[in-house]
Amino acid sequence: MDKQNPVQEIVSQPYKYGFVTEIETEKIEKGLNEDVIRLISKKKKEPEFLLNFRLKAFNQWLKMKEPNWAELGYPQINYQDIIYYAAPKASEKKESLNEVDPKLLETFEKLGIPLSEQKRLTNVAVDAVFDSVSIATTYKEKLAEHGVIFCSISEAVNEYPEIIEKYIGTVVPINDNFFASLNSAVFSDGSFVYVPKGVNCPMDLSSYFRINSGDTGQFERTLIIAEEASQVSYLEGCTAPMFDTNTLHAAVVELVALEEASIKYSTVQNWYSGNEDGVGGIYNFVTKRGQCRGKKSKISWSQVETGSAITWKYPSCVLQGEESIGEFYSVALTNNHQKADTGTKMIHVGAKSRSTIVSKGISAGQSANSYRGLVQMGPKAYGARNYSQCDSMLIGDKASANTYPYIRSQQPQSSIEHEASTCRISEEQLFYLQSRGIGFEEAISMMVSGFCRDVFNQLPMEFAAEADKLLALKLEGSVG
Amino acid sequence: MINKDSKLILEITDLHARIEDQAILQGVNLRIKAGEIHAIMGRNGSGKSTLSKIIAGHPAYTVTSGEIKYKGENLMNMEPENRSRVGIFLGFQYPVEIPGVSNLEFLRVATNARRQELGEEELDTFDFEDLVQKRLELVQMDPAFLNRSVNEGFSGGEKKRNEILQMALLEPSLSILDETDSGLDIDALRIVAAGINQLAKPNTATLLITHYQRLLNEITPDFVHVMASGRILRTGGSELALDLEKDGYEWVEKINKDKEKV
Amino acid sequence: MTDSNQWLDSLPAPNGILESVQRRGREALTQTKAPNNSFENWRLTDIRKLENLLTLPVYKKENSIENDFPLKVVRPPSDGIRLILNHNSDPLERVNLPKGLSSLTKLELEQNLGRTNAKCLFQEEWPVALNYASASNLLALKVTGKAPPIELILSSNPNQFNPTRVIFVLEENAELDLLEIAMGSEESAHSHLIEIHLSQESKVQHGMIAIGKKDSHLLCNIAIQQDIRSEYSLTCVQTGWSLARLEPHVVQVNGNAKTNIKGLQLSKKDQQLTTNTQIRFDGPDGMIEQLQKSAATDKSQCIFNGVIEVPRIAQRSNASQLSRNLLLSKKARIDTKPELRIIADDVRCAHGATVSQLKEDELFYLRSRGISSAKAADLLLKGFYQEILSLLPVEADRWDVLNTLLDS
Repeated sequence: MDKQNPVQEIVSQPYKYGFVTEIETEKIEKGLNEDVIRLISKKKKEPEFLLNFRLKAFNQWLKMKEPNWAELGYPQINYQDIIYYAAPKASEKKESLNEVDPKLLETFEKLGIPLSEQKRLTNVAVDAVFDSVSIATTYKEKLAEHGVIFCSISEAVNEYPEIIEKYIGTVVPINDNFFASLNSAVFSDGSFVYVPKGVNCPMDLSSYFRINSGDTGQFERTLIIAEEASQVSYLEGCTAPMFDTNTLHAAVVELVALEEASIKYSTVQNWYSGNEDGVGGIYNFVTKRGQCRGKKSKISWSQVETGSAITWKYPSCVLQGEESIGEFYSVALTNNHQKADTGTKMIHVGAKSRSTIVSKGISAGQSANSYRGLVQMGPKAYGARNYSQCDSMLIGDKASANTYPYIRSQQPQSSIEHEASTCRISEEQLFYLQSRGIGFEEAISMMVSGFCRDVFNQLPMEFAAEADKLLALKLEGSVG
Repeated sequence: MINKDSKLILEITDLHARIEDQAILQGVNLRIKAGEIHAIMGRNGSGKSTLSKIIAGHPAYTVTSGEIKYKGENLMNMEPENRSRVGIFLGFQYPVEIPGVSNLEFLRVATNARRQELGEEELDTFDFEDLVQKRLELVQMDPAFLNRSVNEGFSGGEKKRNEILQMALLEPSLSILDETDSGLDIDALRIVAAGINQLAKPNTATLLITHYQRLLNEITPDFVHVMASGRILRTGGSELALDLEKDGYEWVEKINKDKEKV
Repeated sequence: MTDSNQWLDSLPAPNGILESVQRRGREALTQTKAPNNSFENWRLTDIRKLENLLTLPVYKKENSIENDFPLKVVRPPSDGIRLILNHNSDPLERVNLPKGLSSLTKLELEQNLGRTNAKCLFQEEWPVALNYASASNLLALKVTGKAPPIELILSSNPNQFNPTRVIFVLEENAELDLLEIAMGSEESAHSHLIEIHLSQESKVQHGMIAIGKKDSHLLCNIAIQQDIRSEYSLTCVQTGWSLARLEPHVVQVNGNAKTNIKGLQLSKKDQQLTTNTQIRFDGPDGMIEQLQKSAATDKSQCIFNGVIEVPRIAQRSNASQLSRNLLLSKKARIDTKPELRIIADDVRCAHGATVSQLKEDELFYLRSRGISSAKAADLLLKGFYQEILSLLPVEADRWDVLNTLLDS
């Protein structure tokens, strides 16, 4: 850490979620082969179609090459040195929370996600995922009254196999990319949401992902289906303990919005990012994509990315429906040796589809923060419009900010506008605020949060508080 | 100047129009004769700017029913450029900036298109420059603006003068001036108003669209119409504008609500 | 996948002043892989067209270039000199260089040949290797003080691969006004490489007009090295090539220099025109202002990649880049990729890109003044082009580029 730079110090706060829960865990042997996949599938008592899906994906994966185009420069991952399934012992889903291991409840409470009925968050239903399995989902009954299904994907596979079979792998095909194929072969758990026709989901849905074991890969899979004219807002949060080894997290998220449906997907990602010297931390290689299949459907991604050693993530929208809408609002804060390569793809297929991209990157320390995006107007995207804005803020002179906006248009009756800027916190600005009696730290915090305001405004109320807390965590502390 | 025997220039009958799915005009009726100056007043969103654009033929608006006649001829299927050539002029509220297109050349091409329609000879570059120099005096505009791109980097006042310059060159029969006073300081307002007054002739008609009284202190209208919710609610003489200035638009809206109740 | 081996075999044995360069280029070509779409820099290139380009032989043809070229029509610049460059003969034969211009001495040539290329990281580039391998003549000039304007005609013969190479070295405080004219012949390929070294406080106004014909190809690499307080302005216009790649790379070796790049490309029929620019600040306080315009009609494609690199040392750099694109037909394509790589924290960088067709409100404004929609579109296009054309050196007027662009 650069002691010369007080701004630098303020953004370098210790990671507060780095504890490990001592709990007996059932793990399978390290390594990956067909038998391991059959074992995972058997442990999860999956129907045959899913086993076949996994095996097909595995065979694809064997033929694929690990990508290197993002210039992320990480040491080679030994895929045979990873445990592909870990679960707290006796992880059978409990009928009531009273039967869940208190240590687990305690863990989530410590993370700020109380699950017990007395303490649970009002107005947010939570699915808590610990390593490879979902341990509890709150408010299930209340949601069921409205016909909304919210449960772990493992449960859904057994209870609603026809929906899973119909949609899984249709947004992110099993051969989409190296990590998506790997996920399709070995995914452990994740969340499933189904909102029936015309239903406005009565509360926000939230999943909380916790990686606890150091040598276990996390491969969650999320599938959200919003039927015609339905609405849902979904939030996810992520943390992991501090280990000096790197843990692989390769998730797949698929969203399907039918006619006039709207899905809002928000992420606060705070996986362990490694120490000051860049040792340890999560490799976060995630494939997130939504399809606006129906007319006037809408998918909105908002994300606050502060953790992970390496992030490689491009939540995207395929705008098939006429007048469909795609949105991407992102704040990515990197520090120390973190590398974030994130952005979005807006693929305009349908006429009069619209998309908005607002990306704010803040790089400090020796970190590298890249925006990489694609806006594509297909030949039928008559009257489609895109607006993108990508701003970078650099803190200290060793961090880097890169912008790679790919723009491709094949439709003259469409318009694309892209703007980008780079700035830093200027001494004059700081001085101005300080001369009005605002403390140094607070001034920095104010400016960073002002810089991110456009994105924070997009987060759901319940989550905005969490994001604030998270940024505050990174920004608060003593001035050296 | 009201003259009962003069020719009818513009006749709008029960005009309804919308943009995309939104209805904006809901039955406008208006008759303007040669020699007359009319003013339409109303709040933002009352439909007055839309009306001006529809008369000029803006493609974004769809006329759903009713008609607009200009000198007895139905305008509905006429392209915007032909409307200009037959003598309809719209002075824009926000004249667009067109980078790279020379102002002088633009003015010349436009003027010649009008002259051709009138059966007059086209002007070559030199003759045209002479004509422009004369017209520039009317709006007291710096000739340097001729060599810049159309409206690019012009101040609000310069843009409006450029509009009046175009009006002086095209010599329209019907001039519609949309919020010509907005963004002008008092000196610029006087210059622009003097230009409009000079260009108003017994055989031309003028339609001013404005929000405030101040333009009407400089140009006295023969008729004032008050517009709200896409309709003309009241018509009177120039004193109506003074009432509006004094009492605001609220009483107009009250009338409107009462009408809706009925 | 292009195969350069056959083309290499057709080359005459290395000889002349560039013999060692030819050897190096040929060596590089046998060792490096020919471009294909999996290379980031070539991901959109029509590889089939590149292959066509390599079927054209480099051989000495005796006919003089006047036959193919409208030089008789366009008179030479009144107050400057016209030089004609082809790879057969010495461009300075029978030319009396005016004050301010001199040939590079053997020693100066040794010191400078390829130096700016290396700075601009062109050494590894495939089109540069092609030029190295085949060019047998070069124009190498030193500029002292204020030199008269130079018009450089880059000639190309039909049915032939035409390599040309140029070096300019500007001494301190020198000033140069350079207009390059490349007119492609039918079924030809032109490989052009120019290096310009700007010493402290020197100034260059560089115009490049590149107009192709049916089945003509252009690979043009422009390497610029700027010392402190120098100013370099490039205005380039290209149209009419079946395939063209214009690649200006600029390095401000110690920062604190000014760079201005304005580009215009208009593609028609099934043409594919590319501009790849790369600007790097190797010192603080540098400035770059860039505007790249593209217009694509018919089934054609315009591509722009613009990289701006601001390493840690380049504090207080000021960079702005704008890419404006017009997509004028349903089957045309526009691809644009601005790219900022920034490490220094105290910098001002902004970039923007727009892709659209002609603006409806602008068209309406013109039509509401009696101008027909076809004429209004023409006026707007003219305005779109003129913003760049007006920045070409004054002497460029004689070439009447605007009408070439408007004739479609």
